[in-house]
Amino acid sequence: MLFSSIPFLFYFLPIVLGLYFLVPRLGKNLVLLLASLFFYWWGEPRYVVLMLATIAFAYICGLLIDRFRGTGWSKVFLAVSVAGELAVLGYFKYADFFLDTVNAVLRTEFPLLAIALPIGISFYTFQTLSYTIDVYRGTVAVQRSPLKLATYVALFPQLIAGPIVRYSTVERELAQRRTSLNDLSEGLSRFVLGLSKKVLIANQLGALASLLRESGDPSVLMYWTIAVAFTLQIYFDFSGYSDMAVGLGRIFGFHFLENFNYPFIAKSITEFWRRWHISLSSWFRDYVYIPLGGSRCGRWRQMANIFVVWLLTGLWHGAAWNFVLWGLYFALFLILEKFWLKRFLERLPGMLQHGYLLLAVVFSFVIFNGSGLSGAAADLAGMLGISGAPLLSQSALYYVSSYGVLMLLAAVGATPLPKMAVARFSASGMGEKVMTVVQPVALLALLAACTAYLVDGSFNPFLYFRF
Amino acid sequence: MKKQLLTSAVLLGALGVGFLACALHTDQEWSLSERRLLAQKPVASAQTLSSGQFMTDFETYSLDQFPLREAFRSLKAELQYAIFQQKDNNGIYIVDGSLSKIEANLSESSVKGAADKLNAVQAQYLQGSKVYYAVVPDKNYYLAEANGYPHLDYDRLDAILAENLTNMERIDLYDCLGADDYYKTDSHWRQERLGAVAERIGEHLGVSVTPMDSYDQQVFDAFRGVYWGQSALSLPAEDLIYLTNDMLDGCTVYHYETGEETGIYEVENLENPDPYDVFLGGADALLTITNPNAATDRELIIFRDSFGSSLAPLLVQDYRTVTLVDLRYVSSQILDQFIDFHGQDVLFLYSPSVFNNSTMLK
Repeated sequence: MLFSSIPFLFYFLPIVLGLYFLVPRLGKNLVLLLASLFFYWWGEPRYVVLMLATIAFAYICGLLIDRFRGTGWSKVFLAVSVAGELAVLGYFKYADFFLDTVNAVLRTEFPLLAIALPIGISFYTFQTLSYTIDVYRGTVAVQRSPLKLATYVALFPQLIAGPIVRYSTVERELAQRRTSLNDLSEGLSRFVLGLSKKVLIANQLGALASLLRESGDPSVLMYWTIAVAFTLQIYFDFSGYSDMAVGLGRIFGFHFLENFNYPFIAKSITEFWRRWHISLSSWFRDYVYIPLGGSRCGRWRQMANIFVVWLLTGLWHGAAWNFVLWGLYFALFLILEKFWLKRFLERLPGMLQHGYLLLAVVFSFVIFNGSGLSGAAADLAGMLGISGAPLLSQSALYYVSSYGVLMLLAAVGATPLPKMAVARFSASGMGEKVMTVVQPVALLALLAACTAYLVDGSFNPFLYFRF
Repeated sequence: MKKQLLTSAVLLGALGVGFLACALHTDQEWSLSERRLLAQKPVASAQTLSSGQFMTDFETYSLDQFPLREAFRSLKAELQYAIFQQKDNNGIYIVDGSLSKIEANLSESSVKGAADKLNAVQAQYLQGSKVYYAVVPDKNYYLAEANGYPHLDYDRLDAILAENLTNMERIDLYDCLGADDYYKTDSHWRQERLGAVAERIGEHLGVSVTPMDSYDQQVFDAFRGVYWGQSALSLPAEDLIYLTNDMLDGCTVYHYETGEETGIYEVENLENPDPYDVFLGGADALLTITNPNAATDRELIIFRDSFGSSLAPLLVQDYRTVTLVDLRYVSSQILDQFIDFHGQDVLFLYSPSVFNNSTMLK
C-alpha cells in the first residue's frame, strides 16, 4: 500500500489512528503490529511470511547472542545472524544478477530464477542486521518481547521505503511512549508536507521526464531536462516519503532520525552524503566502514574501505551494473575529495563549489536512472552533445516552458529558504497569530490538492520501492 | 498550543470526513465526463486476496468511486493551469476556449504501415476504380504550432503518403478549414462548416455537392465533446448542428452488423454519452447510405474514421449509394463478403491520428 494512495489516506490511516488512540497503552504495540502486517500484506501478500521469518530469526539470534555473551558462541550466533539475513537478501535480490553475470562472463546458460523482489526487503534486512549487531556490541539490550521486536521491524511508517530506523533509536519508545499534542500536530503536518512533496512535485517531475522520453524528439536540452527533473524527482520522492515516515512515527509517539538535510546545498560530495539518505550512509559507516578500519589506517587501506562501502551502497540500491557504477562513481569523488580535492574546493567561491556538487550529482543520477549501462551511456552522450541530437527540440522547449514553474518551485523547495521564511515570519508576534490560522488552512489545502492529483492520476509507485 | 490543537483537529477531521465519505458514498456506474464504466467494489476471495488482485482492484475502485470525484478532478486541472502554470493538463490544452490534445510524435513506420494497408486494399479490391485519399486535418493542425504546442510534422506525414500511395490521387483539405471549424470541446469537425471540404472532394471525384445554404440546420445545444470530460474544466456546452434537407431525409442507412435500417441521423443518440453519434449512428464497421433521389447511379466507397460520419451525408447528392468502411472494426480480408467491388469511386479518408497509429487498421 502506498502512502500516496486513496486506500491509505482515507481507509487505512483513519481506521488505524482510531484504533491506536482508542486502545489502552498496553495494546498499542499490538495494534501497530497488526496494522503493519496488514499494510505489508496488502502490497505483498506472498512475502508476509518471509518478513515474519526474518523477524523470528533476528529475535532468536538476538536471544542466543545475549545468552552466550562473553563466549565464542556469541560471535558464532552473530555470524549466523548476519550470514542468514544476507543470504535471504542475496537470494531474493541478487540471485538473478549473479546468474546473469556468470552467464555473461563464462558463456554459460544457467536459467534465471525470476524471483519477485519482496517490497522493502533491503530496509528491513538492514534493520534486523543492525539489531543483532548492536545486541552483540552491547549498545542495546536484547529484546525479549517478540511483539516489540516485530513491531519495530514491521512498523509500517518506515517498513517499505525507510528510513532505516535503528533499533537503538526506538528502543525506549517501544517500551514506553506517549503522543503529545505537539507530536500529533507536528506528525500530521510533516506527513501532509511529505505527501505534497511526493504527489505535487515528485510525481509531476516524473511525468515531465516520461513525456520527454516519449516525445521521440531528442535534443541536448531534452537530455539535460530529464537529468535535472529526475534529480529533483528522486529527492522530492524519497525525502517526501521520509517526511511521511517521520511524521507518521511522530503521530504514534516515535521519534525517527532525519533522513535528509537539504542535500543540494552541500558544497562537496562528502557533505552531500552527510545530507542525503543519512540513515543508509550512517548505517554503512557504522557497520561496514568503521569495522573495516575506517580512516584510522593507511591511505591505500582507507581508499579500499571507501571503495568497498560504495560498491555495497551501489549494490544496495539495485542488482544492476549501473547501480554498481553509480556507487563507484561516488567512491571516486569521495576518495578524490578526501585526499586531494578538499583543500582546492574549499578555496573556491561558494557558487563554484555548489556548481561542482550539483553537476556531479546530476551526472550521478543519470547513471542511476539509466536503462542499464548502455542507456546511461546514451543519456550522458546526449547531455554532452555527442549523440548527434540537436541542441534544441520542439518538445523539449515546450515542456521546459510548461513545467518551468514546477521546476523553479522544486529548486527553491529543495533549499532551506521556504522553511527559514516561515520560521522568520512565525517568530514575530503578528506572524505567530497569523500562522495559528494559516498553517492548518494551508495544510488542509495541500491535503485537498494531493487528493485531487491522486483522484485524477493513476498508479504512482515510489522510486525507492525497488530497493 | 492553539495552533497545534487547530492543526491536529483540522487534519484529523479531514481524514475522518474523508473516511466517512468513502464509506457512505453510493457507488456510481458510469463516468459521463470520461465516457467509461467506473470500477465497482471488488469481490474478495481466497484467490484474489492471495494473488493481490483484490488489492489492485480496490485501488482502482477507490479512485473511480471517490466522493466528489469530478470536483477533485476539476480542482486538479485548475491547479495545474493556475498554480503550476502548466500549458496542458493530461495532454489537453486550451486555446481561445477550444480544447485539443497534444499529439506530436510522428511514427513514420506507422504512416508507412497505413500506406501499405491502403495499397493492399487497393490491390485486392479496387482494380478499375478511381481511388483518392485525403488526410483529415485535425484541430491541432490549426492550433498547435501557432500557439507553441508540440505538433505532428504534417509535411513529413504528407510526404510519406505521397511517396507510398502512388496509385491514388491525393485531395488536399488543409486549406479548406480553420480552427473555428471544429467543436470547441471535441476533436471532430463541425458538419455545418464542411462546405469547402465537400466541394473540394466533389471537384476531384467529379460530382456536385449540395450548397450549404440549402440545408436546414437542426441544433442540439447541449453538446459536450470528448475533451470536455478529459479536461475536467468547467466549460459551457456548445451547439451541435446537423444538416437536413428532403434528399437526406429520403436516404436510408443499412448497418451490416445489426441488419438494421435507419436514417442519416439517429437523433436519439444525442442523449448518448457521445452526441456525435447522431451522425450515421456513431462507430460502425460497415454501412451503406442509399439515396433514392440521387442525380446519378454512381456509387462511392469511403474508407474512413469517425470524421467520415459527418462528412459522408454531404457527398450523397450524386451518388446512389455511399458505403462507409471502418477498417478499425472490420478486417479488410473479408470485405468482399459484404461489398461487391465493381469500379465504384473510392476515397480513403483518415485523420492523422489513424495514420500515426495504423496498427488499428485491420
